[in-house]
Amino acid sequence: MRTRRRTKRFLLVATVAAWALALAGCTAGGSAPSGSGDEVTLTFLVSETPNLTPKYWDDAIARASEKVPGVTIKKVVGENTPAYAQQLFASGQAPDIFAAGIANGLAQKGMLAEYTRDELKKAGVTDFTSGTINGKFYGVATGAQAIPVVYYNKALFAKAGIDAAPKTYAELVADCAKLKAAGIAPFEIGGGGKDTWATVFALVSAVSADVLTVDPDWFLKRTKGEVKFTDPAFVAAAKKVQDLARNGYGDKDAMTRSYADLEQAFLGGKAAMYPMGSWFAAAADKAKRTDIGVFGWPSDTGRQAFPTVSGAGMNVNAKSKNVELAKKWSLAFATDKQNRDLGVLTDGDIVTVKDYQLPDKVGAVYQETVRAYDAAVASGATVPAWANITGDGALPPGFSELMTAANVDLLTGKKTPEQFAQYLDQQYAAAQK
Amino acid sequence: MTTNAGSNRRFGAGRAGPARTLTALVLTALFIYPIYLVILNAFKTQEDIYRYPGLPTMPLTWRNFVDVVTRPDGLLWTGLINSVQITVVGTLLSTVIAAMMAHYMVRSTGWFAKSLWVVIPLGLMIPPATTLLPLLRMMRDFGLIGSVFGLIVLYVAGSLPFGVLVFTGFLRTIPKELEEAAAMDGAGPIRTFWSIVFPLLRPAGASVVIFVAVGLWNDFITPLIILGPANGSTVTVGMYRQISEHVSNYGAVFAYMVLATIPILVLFVFLQKYFVKGLLSGAAKG
Amino acid sequence: MHKQKRRRFPPRNPLYFLLFALPGAVLYAAFVLWPLLVALWSSLTNENAYRTTTSFVWFDNYGRLFTDPAYVQTLRNTVVLALICIAVPNALGLGIAVLLDRVGWVFNVLRAVFFIPVVLSSVVVAVIWQQMLKDDGLVNTSLRSFGVTDPPGWLSDPALALYSVGWIAAWQAVGTCVVLYLAGLQSIPKELLEAAAIDGAGPVRRFRTITWPLLAPSVTIMTVLSMIGGFKVYDQVKVMTNGGPGVGTTSTLAFDVVRTGIDAGAVGYGAAKAAVMFFIIAAISLLSLRIMRGREVDL
Repeated sequence: MRTRRRTKRFLLVATVAAWALALAGCTAGGSAPSGSGDEVTLTFLVSETPNLTPKYWDDAIARASEKVPGVTIKKVVGENTPAYAQQLFASGQAPDIFAAGIANGLAQKGMLAEYTRDELKKAGVTDFTSGTINGKFYGVATGAQAIPVVYYNKALFAKAGIDAAPKTYAELVADCAKLKAAGIAPFEIGGGGKDTWATVFALVSAVSADVLTVDPDWFLKRTKGEVKFTDPAFVAAAKKVQDLARNGYGDKDAMTRSYADLEQAFLGGKAAMYPMGSWFAAAADKAKRTDIGVFGWPSDTGRQAFPTVSGAGMNVNAKSKNVELAKKWSLAFATDKQNRDLGVLTDGDIVTVKDYQLPDKVGAVYQETVRAYDAAVASGATVPAWANITGDGALPPGFSELMTAANVDLLTGKKTPEQFAQYLDQQYAAAQK
Repeated sequence: MTTNAGSNRRFGAGRAGPARTLTALVLTALFIYPIYLVILNAFKTQEDIYRYPGLPTMPLTWRNFVDVVTRPDGLLWTGLINSVQITVVGTLLSTVIAAMMAHYMVRSTGWFAKSLWVVIPLGLMIPPATTLLPLLRMMRDFGLIGSVFGLIVLYVAGSLPFGVLVFTGFLRTIPKELEEAAAMDGAGPIRTFWSIVFPLLRPAGASVVIFVAVGLWNDFITPLIILGPANGSTVTVGMYRQISEHVSNYGAVFAYMVLATIPILVLFVFLQKYFVKGLLSGAAKG
Repeated sequence: MHKQKRRRFPPRNPLYFLLFALPGAVLYAAFVLWPLLVALWSSLTNENAYRTTTSFVWFDNYGRLFTDPAYVQTLRNTVVLALICIAVPNALGLGIAVLLDRVGWVFNVLRAVFFIPVVLSSVVVAVIWQQMLKDDGLVNTSLRSFGVTDPPGWLSDPALALYSVGWIAAWQAVGTCVVLYLAGLQSIPKELLEAAAIDGAGPVRRFRTITWPLLAPSVTIMTVLSMIGGFKVYDQVKVMTNGGPGVGTTSTLAFDVVRTGIDAGAVGYGAAKAAVMFFIIAAISLLSLRIMRGREVDL
């Protein structure tokens, strides 16, 4: 009797084990790439955000694939950070094409394929300064973003008795005082938890306006040690930021809001000004707002800084099974008119591809952004968005997070501008080791 | 020994007085309030969540759940299937291997067993981030990356220390004489283990199962990296994607959280009565 | 009738060794020990994800560690966090276990309810609590409606942030302690308690002289496990404060290791930090076990 029960139990265990091992081979959701004939299958890594939905990617991929025959694209989803890309390379799972720019660190090790200037020019690229690494091109720069510019609520401005955007820094401070007097929080700057990156925008703006409009190559020089954060120009910009916070010109509750909450707060009129990347224009237009304007953070002398960065995404794996085809597809994807249009409408991209015409249904806020951009280009006030650029002149890896944390201390007064600058110099040196 | 100290009179002095019940209810309500909020908000629309985060609002809707369940890329479903598969196989394998290893460690006296006693607890203290890159490279060289098999094998190795800890504690309460008697009767070690020891280990086994299962189910870093973006994902990886993707749509995030947690909760309810006893004995003699 | 074999016990049977000890040992050696050794090795180098060459720097990384004032703060934060993760769940868990140690379906449900946070992913828990504790989140808006004009910045005040994160990690662990202590309470022979009651001992006295000493083994294990868990807290820090507010106010050992080794790509330096963390945990665990085992009552 005992034997029979034992045999039955053994059979049960064996069946379960067999089933388990059989299933262990396959995963759900991971479709094996099905290439037919001489179709090459390439993997394409994208990251999904509230603006860039799965459907957006699928449609964009389909359009590019139509232009380049012989390629089947398999979309994979992940983070668009260099750290994640490093992990993918280490585990041997690096895709053929990366949607976002992750070249820094990987290009120098020869893991990414190079684009030639001709290739880029033929595809219509006009931006040859973004994302270069040691002067070489590893990505396709087609859409610029301004990170950050200052969006402002015209209605709230009017309520405080301000009739136009400030042209000099002195006017900006005066406007802040007027807003505060009218009971309106002047700036919406904050971001808590994993969104702390949003807290640095005042600092980025001030430095762009005061340091970079005078010397656009400042950060390139910093990588070579020719300038330091403790130089008077930088410290003065940091002091401006601290003064703004000390006078209570920020929104008290903003420091722990998530990015989504931050956006909601500004759109809901909780503050008058919102230094943010130009992608915000897409969100504002989605909410059909016509009372939001934009200006570049002004320097003392009235130069309105417009820090720009071109993603230089579409990096190609040097060990891809077909580098030429991957590059061809990438160029098609990046310059496809409809993709660019969608980039404009969903993410507020400022397109730099040759002969590009804006789609008809762009919103008011986006149009204002583009107008401000064109004016900045005309007056030579576009500077590199030093906190976001990758490639030559970029901040060393890991430094940005430390700067963000230190910036919070600057805002709360825990560090003086001099201490802040010293800390940055220390951490910069450590990160460069 | 009277029957009281175990089976029927399991709890304290019997039934509870009204004061105790009231205190218990209030404390529990306070404690669990955040969870209640999540469940509640999963049924609200986005605007309602912003306006009245703490209160129930009248138009309760199934919309969020519908959205999550009918996502075009089937994120929840592929995630669930993968998670169930990984968790079931990983937990079973891990429990059995840990039990067998614990048996060896408790019953043997050789140098190998002694060295295991030193080496196994180390696994509990290693920060996972450190071993990540070397592990990745090794698994890549062995072709284990991107496969569920590789992931499961990694999980089994990682949960060994915990399983061994619980089982060794419990095994020490099982008298050696039982197994010696079987050996006298001519039973091999494997037979002894399966028919005598393993059934007795049921409470300890249940506690290992529930804790390992919870750990495997909720882990998202490892599947994110080992399975990689191209090979489907687990339900927790999907939740992580949902959070970063729909940061402004908390309703969908909460709905996903609720759905992703139900399976493991069901498992807990099933195993509850077993593993309470298991933890007890393991701890007492561990 | 087959031959009666007398087998020695425990068996020196090679099959026994192969089947019972080897599979686990091999897996463990390959996936746990080997990467650990490689990581320790790399802590002696300046390996960096963003640099093409790697060379030995011997103990430079360790020297750098110990002279970095930020690291001292990280250590301090971790100790505080670990203490919270030991004290709060165990104290609350024991109290709630005593409270819920009664018959009845209501209490069955309540016990299960306490375990729910344990079952949740720590990322989920962190997201939920971040929404509650942010400056205009649920907790503060409730406080404001009660007339508190300037409620504390739970996550934005550097003095408070660490304790907030600690509370969240502890909240999640309470359920485990409740379950474990309930199990321990059940194992106490009722006759002892009844006899003491008959002799005139009140509930407090009974707890102190019978329950508490008999719970000692559970307390030992739970304390050590809580402490190890407390040292490894990462998700809650990353999601709720990202190490801030300000520089390093909530940076813990585990968080620092990830930020250095993965985010900044300083693999060698990160490995050194991890090695130190590992040695600290191991040392304290062994020490605590030794101390606490000393006071256990031998049953």
